[in-house]
Order: sequence, then structure tokens, then C-alpha cells
Amino acid sequence: MDRNQIKKWFKFPAQMGHKYSLWVTYFCTGCGIIEIPPTITARWDAERFGVIPVATPRHANLFLITGYVSVKTLKAIIKSYEMMPDPKYVVGFGSCPINGGMYWDSYNTIKHLDRYIPVDGWIAGCMPRPEAIIIGVTHLWTLIDKGMASGYKKYREKYKYYRENQEKVLGKLEWQPLFPLKESEEVK
Amino acid sequence: MMIKIIEIIALPLIAFIIGIFFMGLARKIMARIHWRYGPPIFQPIIDMIKLLNQKSVSHGFIFDFGIIFSLAGTIVLILFIPFAKISPLSNSGGLLVILYLMLIAPLGLAISGGEAANPNTSIGISRKFILALGYEVPFILIILAVMKSFHSISLIHIVNTQQAGNWSIFSSVPLFLAGVAYFLILPAMLGLRPFDMVTAPQEISSGPKVEYGGKYLALISIEHALTLYISLALFVDLFLGGASNLIIFFIKILVVFIIGIFINAVFPRLRIEQAVKYLWGFPTLIALVGLILTTII
Amino acid sequence: MATFVPIKRKRGSKMSANKLQEEIGSLFKNITLKIAKNNRIFILAQKEQILDILSFLKNKGFDHLELISCVDWIKKNQFEIVYILTSYLLEDEKSRIHLILKTRVSRENPEIMSALPIFENAEFYEREIYELFGVNFDGNNRLIPLFLDREYKIPPFRKDFDTREYVKNLYDSILPVEDKNK
Repeated sequence: MDRNQIKKWFKFPAQMGHKYSLWVTYFCTGCGIIEIPPTITARWDAERFGVIPVATPRHANLFLITGYVSVKTLKAIIKSYEMMPDPKYVVGFGSCPINGGMYWDSYNTIKHLDRYIPVDGWIAGCMPRPEAIIIGVTHLWTLIDKGMASGYKKYREKYKYYRENQEKVLGKLEWQPLFPLKESEEVK
Repeated sequence: MMIKIIEIIALPLIAFIIGIFFMGLARKIMARIHWRYGPPIFQPIIDMIKLLNQKSVSHGFIFDFGIIFSLAGTIVLILFIPFAKISPLSNSGGLLVILYLMLIAPLGLAISGGEAANPNTSIGISRKFILALGYEVPFILIILAVMKSFHSISLIHIVNTQQAGNWSIFSSVPLFLAGVAYFLILPAMLGLRPFDMVTAPQEISSGPKVEYGGKYLALISIEHALTLYISLALFVDLFLGGASNLIIFFIKILVVFIIGIFINAVFPRLRIEQAVKYLWGFPTLIALVGLILTTII
Repeated sequence: MATFVPIKRKRGSKMSANKLQEEIGSLFKNITLKIAKNNRIFILAQKEQILDILSFLKNKGFDHLELISCVDWIKKNQFEIVYILTSYLLEDEKSRIHLILKTRVSRENPEIMSALPIFENAEFYEREIYELFGVNFDGNNRLIPLFLDREYKIPPFRKDFDTREYVKNLYDSILPVEDKNK
């Protein structure tokens, strides 16, 4: 943990700032939300690492998708994800967001969350213990250092394809597109 | 003349540094009371660096204007409160100007919250104004008692009188009662735990701050840090004999703040009608008795 | 401050399972009743007698409809509708009986009278069964979707709904974003 190295703060203040103060949206997505209160209370204190839960997506940096995603939850997740301000990171817990997991043949959960919103990393476990969640946060720091946690940039560039995928599952979406869908030819 | 300009620029910066240090200290002390390690003390600085590097979402022109309006009001208010020997504008207006300028900050928040069009914002702002109504009544009685005892409205004169003699809270009975009443309403003015229903993250999703994204949230945090400094510095200047030395002033503010944090760590949150019932009950009664005694004694 | 209100226990007449068996046997024909243990009764009835049995039992003291559920017997071509009633508010502990009432409905055109006039909370259970199995309840005019937000060709809890086919058609046909430019 290089929070004490003052030279790095002067060289890359934005990167160090995004790393050491990750604010989590307290959105209880699926079954894994049972592991978040032990992580943020006194026993496995996550506030030492700068991670606190905040009440609205407009304040938040990090979105934890804890567990399986049903179709109704996907609508709420997309709305909350689009409300968060720009450098934002998404971490998925367990095997259900990766490829369906235990609900691989269910008609109402989505498999492959990666095709609807960009995901930066996954944490193994059903559900991961608080120690695993904190180690996952430290791995996210190394990704931010190398510049590989760029899900939000991908969402901005390929928004047309993400929105197509979202509309195939959810039907016609009620909200306007976040970024303009048609690019004019002169830009290219 | 040059010194005055340097003082005007430096005083808000010093207040900001003290406010940020107190915000970090508050989180650390609360964590230690909960038997856990907390974040490092400079964590609010890290938060502010992160917030200033985010792309925020705006809702219109009035949305931006309201925040800048409230921040400007708070910065101007700092220039009227003497901080040890530094007091650029304290000779003009004094306590009466402070009474008026204290209401610019909530007004700015209300203006920009109206543009945000979120029901949580309107509930938070209504709670903020009702709470301000609650603590303004004993506050005005206290200020009247102080002005009658010292026969002046200038804060510099009050501080100098205390430096020559005793702390004003121990110098006479009506001032003692006024001091006790001010200490009883201090958590309401700071926004600490029995009275933090304005920003209630669990109930109304952070009240007035709910729609503020990256840079706007940084400005609101700066304003919160400055408001902490203002309420504490006013208490120390009026009743604890504001110091002649920067270090002693800082120690006095620190002690009062740490007592406030200990109260914050223990109490649950009151409802808004219970808060107004308390604020218009005990402290108003004590301040009223103090004011009546100044005319008699 | 909210005051604590304890549950009122009703002073009913003592009810025993054997006496109940005699009474029901004398009132309704064409019914099978089985007593398992001391406090559980299983009744199998025809679908036209259900409302009469339910109102008779409600007057006896069974005032809580716990659940209405449905079982799909696909080989016999029938749906089985199950009502579970309990009487836990009676004062005498030995009179508290769990009662399970079952009927059979044909699978081609599943229809049954609604229990809404007798128990008000039957509305939600009947909505769920209509949405997931397709059984129509006569008399309940609020059969709107409760959980699902999409249209399916056949109701999804039936045993001939192939979930694997559905998943392959819908979810596996969505391509990842990286493969889309090609």
C-alpha cells in the first residue's frame, strides 16, 4: 500500500485519489449483500482502506454486484450505473454474474453480466468472505495503477452495442440513451 | 493596508485547514470509540482530491449558482470572526452582521436543491430550515445577553475585555447561564449526532446532498468544513475568552470539538419535532433567565 | 412510543380431530379424510364442494388461510390445488389443527371458483397461480401479473415448459460486445 509515498501524490494525484477513496453504492443486488455489513463494521474494518458505503449512486465510485442478477434487478442496476459520475468501477461477486452459476438454466436470471454493463473484476466465492472482499479491493488498486480498469471508457465508446444487448432482454427501454447513438461521418 | 489584504486571503485558508483536520479527527475518534482502526487523519483530503477529479452531472444554471452562493456566504462570514490577533473586518458591524450572514448558507442550498427536483432534497431542506428555526431563538437571546453585558456589538472589544479580565463564562451569573445555553445548542449548529437529521443517509439518502456529483460534492464538503470552524470559533470568542496566541485558540477549539464528538458517538438521532421541542425548551429558558438577569444585575 | 399489543387468543369450543372428522363426514358426501398424527388432517374433495367446505371450516375456527398452492400432475393430465388452513388463535393448545384441503382440476381447461369471498388474502395466491400455472379463478377480477414482467408462450411453471430451450434462444443469442464489430 503506497498511501504514504508523498512523491507519488504529487506525480499522479488523480490516480492515487481514485484508489484510496473508493465509495461503494449501498445497493443490495442479490444474495451476497449479507457479506457487506460484516466488512464495513468493526471486525473487518473496511474504512481503513478508505471504503465507506454512501447512500446515493451520485456520490459513489464503486459498484458491487453481489450475486445473481434477475431481469428486474438488471433494470435497476443499469439505471444506477448510468447515474454514477465518471471514473467508476464494477466488481462482480461469485459465479452467478460470470456465466449464470447455479441458475444456469433459469428463465429469469441473466447469464454473463459482462454483456450488459462493463465489469472490471470478479471475486470468487459463493459468497466471498470479508477477507476476500478486502483482498479484491487491493487487486483493484493494482488494476487502477496499470490503467487496466477502464470499464467506463469502454461503455462510452461502445454504448451502441451495450444498448442493443440491453434492449434484447428488457424490451424497449424507457430512458433516453446516455451517449448519442448515431455518430456523424465527419467525426471519423 | 497590505497586511489587511494578506489577512483577508489567509484567514479562509487557515479555517479550511482547521476544518479538514477536524473532519478527519472526527472519523478517527469515532472509529476508535467503536474499537476499530479508522482511516488515516488526512482521509478527507484524499476524498476531496478524488471528488475534484470526477466528471459531475449538472441540472441547470440555478443548480450551480446556489452552491457557489452558499459557499461565498460562508467565506465572507469567516472574515468577521476574530482568530487570535487576525481580524480583518471585525470592526464593522460585529455581531449584528454575523446574525444575518449565518442564514446565507442554508438559503443557497435551498435554491440549488429546488432545481434538483428530488423528493429527498425537499425533505432534507425542510428539515434544515426547521432546525435553523429551532436554534435561532435561543441563539438570539444569548447574543442579546452578551451585547447587554458588554455594552457593545464589536467582537474585538469583547475579546479584549476577556483578555484583560476573566473568561466571560465565569465573570458573572447571566453570562454563565448564556454560556451554558450556547453549549447546549452547539450540536444543533454543528450538525452532530442528536441533531443530524438533515443529512440522514439511512432515511432520506443524504438529504440536500443527494443529487450532487463529483465537483459539487467537493464544494459542499468545503462548506461543511468551514461551517464547523465558524460555530466553534464564535463560541470560543464569546465565552471562552478568545486567545491572543494562535496555538492557545486552536487548543480551545479542539477541546470543545472533542467534547462534541464524544456526544456524537453516543446518542441516536432525534426526529425533527423532538429536536425543536428540546431547543425551544431547556436552552431557551436558561438563555431567557440570563437575559432578564442582565437587566436586574 | 408504540405499545406492545399481544395477540388475542380466542376462546373457542374444544375441537378435536375425531369430532371434526365425524362432522365433515356427515355434512359432505364424496369426500376422503385422513388424520395423520394428532393435529393434521388431509381432505380430498371435488372442486364443486370447495367453497362450502371453506365457509364451514371458517365458522369452526379456521380463520387463517396460510397458502394456496398448485401441483402439476402431467401424466394424469390434472392440476391439483392445495389449500392450507390453520387455527392457531384458539386458546386450547390441543385444538389447534393444521388442515390441508386438495382438489383436482383438469389440465386442458383449468378453472375453479375463487376463495375471495371467504378469505380476503386469497387474492395474491390466486394471482400467483394464474401467472405461473395458468389456472383461471372465477370471481377474482384482479388477475394481473405479480412477479413476471414478460410474456411467455405457456406459463413457466408447467412441466412442459423447457427452460433450457428458452435460455438458449434468448440469452445465448446475445453476443459479447467485443465480438460485435466483426
